[in-house]
Amino acid sequence: MKLKAWHTFLFIFLAALMVLSVISTVSIGATDLPFREVYGVIIDKVFHGGREITAGAFETSHYKIIWQIRLPRTLFALCVGAGLAVSGAAMQALVLNPIADPYVLGVSSGASAGAAIALLAPIAFMEGQRQTTAFAFIGALVAAFVVYFLAKRAGGGKLQPVTLLLAGTAVNAVMSAITSYLVFKARSPEGIAAVYNWQMGAISAAQWKTLSIPATLVGAGTAVFTVMGSRFNMMMMGDEDAAAMGLRVRLFRSVMFIAVSIVVASLVSITGIIGFVGLVVPHVVRLFSRTSDNRVIMPMSALFGASYIMWADAYARSVHGAAELPLGIVTAFIGAPFFMFLMIKNGYGESRKK
Amino acid sequence: MTIEYENIAVRLGGKEILTDTSLRSHENKIVGIVGANGCGKSTLIKTTFGIVPFHAGQIRINGRKITEYRPRELASMIGYVGQDASCAFDFSVSDVVSMGLFARKDGGKQHKKEIVAAALKELGIEQFADRSIQRLSGGERKMAFIARAVAQGTDMFILDEPTNHLDISHQLFVMDYLKKAGKTTLIVIHDLRLATHYCDYLYMISDGVVFAEGPPLEVLKCDNVRHVFGVHGFAGVSAQGVLDFSLFECGELGCISEIQEVHEGRGLREHSS
Repeated sequence: MKLKAWHTFLFIFLAALMVLSVISTVSIGATDLPFREVYGVIIDKVFHGGREITAGAFETSHYKIIWQIRLPRTLFALCVGAGLAVSGAAMQALVLNPIADPYVLGVSSGASAGAAIALLAPIAFMEGQRQTTAFAFIGALVAAFVVYFLAKRAGGGKLQPVTLLLAGTAVNAVMSAITSYLVFKARSPEGIAAVYNWQMGAISAAQWKTLSIPATLVGAGTAVFTVMGSRFNMMMMGDEDAAAMGLRVRLFRSVMFIAVSIVVASLVSITGIIGFVGLVVPHVVRLFSRTSDNRVIMPMSALFGASYIMWADAYARSVHGAAELPLGIVTAFIGAPFFMFLMIKNGYGESRKK
Repeated sequence: MTIEYENIAVRLGGKEILTDTSLRSHENKIVGIVGANGCGKSTLIKTTFGIVPFHAGQIRINGRKITEYRPRELASMIGYVGQDASCAFDFSVSDVVSMGLFARKDGGKQHKKEIVAAALKELGIEQFADRSIQRLSGGERKMAFIARAVAQGTDMFILDEPTNHLDISHQLFVMDYLKKAGKTTLIVIHDLRLATHYCDYLYMISDGVVFAEGPPLEVLKCDNVRHVFGVHGFAGVSAQGVLDFSLFECGELGCISEIQEVHEGRGLREHSS
């Protein structure tokens, strides 16, 4: 099996790329720190429990930058990339459409609106971060289902690329309006800054304590989507075929939409909207792996998405010195032209059968 | 095994597609469903896997209500190929065929490989195994989808226009395959010549109900064909003893049963226009 050998090679390559990306991007940032110091701090902290730091081998300010800012941020970028990429791959299978992505279909802005409600509306029944994530999840879920049913209804019972995009655009508009309205109403500088941050998308809020929930959910999501790979494959053949092959189509789609919404919400509630990752990454992976088999595409998308966002974030935080470029801008600059390219390549002007 | 559609009624988008349609498969025989475009043939078989919901009637398999079977059980009994053999994503042909294994219980990686290889071989498309499904022609894709249903290893096939997109030699190939396979088969078919040749029994659907049923020679009678399709033609036995379906121009012969009988007696002729 030639293709199988190629996939094994790609896996090893992408895994190595991810590890290398962690190692190299952690040393990139506004403050120039020597490699030796960066890895010295990390190695000391991980393997010796911070012995040498207490002994005064490193500068406290450098230690803080490396251990409390850079490393959690790098690892969070890894989660964001992996999570959004794998969510994009899953959504493409669920709506039978290669242009689907949490951003394009309004799931991200749904999550963002949910998070804005949690932060700016005067309701509190859970402890901070958890409430934001929970509301973001509800927002994402609402957006996902509204887009799905709206597109299906408008397409006369079929999911057409055009109606799907229109539904995504409409839901995006509503959700952004909700977010903007809340910002307008709130008039609290911190709240506004935070919400503004989401709409641009940034990883700067990453801290060790905000890392565990998204990391767990992204890891679990990737594992579930990979294990369910052959079912996702069947979904890609269309509802009729999937049902005929023995899949409970509606149940599977609902449960997986919920899973995608959970993963996206856990990320977006912290980072805000980072667009096109779920669109670009699975496509590139499919191109290189020469298959659409989700048992391969899901884990590879996670690995490649992780590297992609780590580098995009490293670029965002270092290119303009201390003034940080929002990550969403970087991914939009890369993703939007890719999106246009896909539109032309696939000729979405004419409606397709599925 | 038998599948029975009992008094099925389907409403789609406020429009009554099927009002009261009953038909059943025949053990190890090919049963054809014919009718004009939009008469509800495909809609009927789409109710099998719940793709189209029916608001009245019942589907039974071996006497048991279809809703009592789990989806996987159904897939292990019925190999189904829809009308649409397209795919928005890039899979290799053997990937597509191996999806048919989902509902199979007999396991083992090697065994599965063998099933896929055998299915490809049965349909004569083993040379496409590693090709992308998207780069195949419509007809080749159709063959791959049928191979997928074959890989399901079922006792029954339900196929929506299996010969659609196929050239004449592949049309015959597929129909010969189905005949040879000898499984309980239900097909929606447009080509009345193939229907005459290969089907053991026909249901003719018109205006949401079964308009006529029986062996092809009885169903594809002049009057029925005119009523349902608005053209003049009938099925008969040719001079060589071959079942065939023929069209003729109305002015030439008129369309009355006596003429049909005369022609059946003499054997079908070719009607030049």
